[in-house]
Amino acid sequence: MSDVVIKTRNLTKEYIRDEFHVVALKDAEIEVHRGDFVALMGPSGSGKSTLLHLVAAMDRPTSGEIEVLGSKLNGLNDGAIARWRNRHVGFVFQSFNLIPVLTALENVELPLKLTHLKKGERMQHAATALKLVGLGDRLGHFPRQLSGGQEQRVAIARAIVTDPDILLCDEPTGNLDAKSAQEVLSLLAKLNKEHGKTVVLVTHDPHAAHYASKVRYIDKGELLPDGTKPEGWN
Amino acid sequence: MKFLSLIVKNCLRNRRRSFLTIASLAISLCLLGVMAALYYALFISNVPPKAQARRIVTRHKVSIVFQMPLYYREKIRQVPGVEEVMVWQWYGGVYKDSRDQRNFFARLGVEADKLFKVYQDYVLPEDQKQAFINDPAGCVVNKVLADRHGFKVGDKILIKGDIFPFDLDVTVRGIYTSTDFDDETLWFNFKYFENALRNSSRLAAGTFTMLAKSEADVPHICREVDAMFANSPTPTKTESEYTFGLSFLSFLGNIKVILMVICGAVTFTVLLIAANTMAMSVRERVKEVGVLKTLGFEKRTILWLILGESAVISMVGGLLGVLIAQGLCILIRQGPMIVQQTKTLSIGPPVFAALVGLSALIGVAAAVVPAWNASRSNIIDALRFTD
Repeated sequence: MSDVVIKTRNLTKEYIRDEFHVVALKDAEIEVHRGDFVALMGPSGSGKSTLLHLVAAMDRPTSGEIEVLGSKLNGLNDGAIARWRNRHVGFVFQSFNLIPVLTALENVELPLKLTHLKKGERMQHAATALKLVGLGDRLGHFPRQLSGGQEQRVAIARAIVTDPDILLCDEPTGNLDAKSAQEVLSLLAKLNKEHGKTVVLVTHDPHAAHYASKVRYIDKGELLPDGTKPEGWN
Repeated sequence: MKFLSLIVKNCLRNRRRSFLTIASLAISLCLLGVMAALYYALFISNVPPKAQARRIVTRHKVSIVFQMPLYYREKIRQVPGVEEVMVWQWYGGVYKDSRDQRNFFARLGVEADKLFKVYQDYVLPEDQKQAFINDPAGCVVNKVLADRHGFKVGDKILIKGDIFPFDLDVTVRGIYTSTDFDDETLWFNFKYFENALRNSSRLAAGTFTMLAKSEADVPHICREVDAMFANSPTPTKTESEYTFGLSFLSFLGNIKVILMVICGAVTFTVLLIAANTMAMSVRERVKEVGVLKTLGFEKRTILWLILGESAVISMVGGLLGVLIAQGLCILIRQGPMIVQQTKTLSIGPPVFAALVGLSALIGVAAAVVPAWNASRSNIIDALRFTD
């Protein structure tokens, strides 16, 4: 497999909302290499999350090509994409998105239900993932019994439990206080450095971007050339 | 099976709503259960008790209220396959207070010496049989009826006449049970009629009950008896005793249609309740559907998860309803007899299976639209959904 894990060419996403035609992303070209920690930055509505969703195959591009881990996503059907996503991509949301009726352990076990692992093995893997994020003592806690930082760490455990190649994080610190945000970012950096996970982090927090090895900026749907920032962006 | 725990947890997500939905399903399925049991007993199971299978009843072709000449008895006796034939006549009358439903029971004048030959399932001591046969003012009563009213051998029973112009003053000579079916009847000696209506044109037969030599003889006896009187001033209608009993239901109207309409209305109402609940439940979880899809859940998995959840809720309600319906059937069995089938009313295995199957079907049907929409929803739209 090539060292390039994410490669897009002329990636464009357009929406039609009522009578408005919105270009969310225009001709985006990016290459992410195995083991990279890339931060995608830009103001709200710039198209960061759209790019992330396209890379995770959660949405289909209007035009352009996208190749992730050697798979051309444009050609896959919905079922194949779902299976591919389960195997290769871990996704972390800004608002955690844990299932409230499941415990931390059950939430983390959820993606493993789609594998052929037996229940005992699933539980063991889930417990290991939770220990890895420092929540080995919170296995039976429900989301409502956890702090925001802890919830996000459960969400990260859920994202890594299938041992995916890529971790895609959509503003994972957006709902956290400074201390919890730092813990989560440190955890992502640890997963990148020690476990070799390729991380793509969407954020508009410059402090968060410091943890990344590479920063790319998006403005008004356009992915700016490497090393370029939007106007007025410090 | 690995998704069962997730389905159960989703069912318990909003406990109050699930409880109320299950309760409404249980009550509706209970009503449906009783109706279905009744329908099954009346129109499907149709297997008469063993002794009854050989009994045939002949009545006036127009209506049971018209009588037939007594000499028909001897003509019927000549039909091949007839082992015994006896006359019985509905007396009617008022026992104590007619407003109390418990005082309503069948009071029939019968040829006493033939009763136990035709009703071979009746069990009572020989001396009581003989006492009944020899007493023109004697009667025998079914034990269930005797227990209800406290009748004992030797008791006098007075019944005020309404159809016939005389009162019935009879003595209990025997109390019988049945190996087949307790009919809760008072049989009095037909000689009472003969004595009270001597020289009256009203001394006639209400019905003739025959005992066929074998079950196989029943159809041709019915045909031959009716053919024999087809062109007479008093034509007859002959049918098995079991079918004859069912004909009383027709006095209430088209029971088959009534039962089916009620069952249909209940099923449709339950479907609406369940559909409303599932629509609300799925709407609350649009975002979660987006999360599950992000984790790799396929459309069909999402579809089955939601359908399964609805089916579980519906089946729990259904099972609960069937249990309550079984309890109601027991209560109905202990009440006054309307037709003999109500005395054996029960949720049998076929009705049970049909009700549980129906409740599962209701659950699935109720969730089809929301489950389909959720499974087809776009991940991004689902994740951005705000109620």
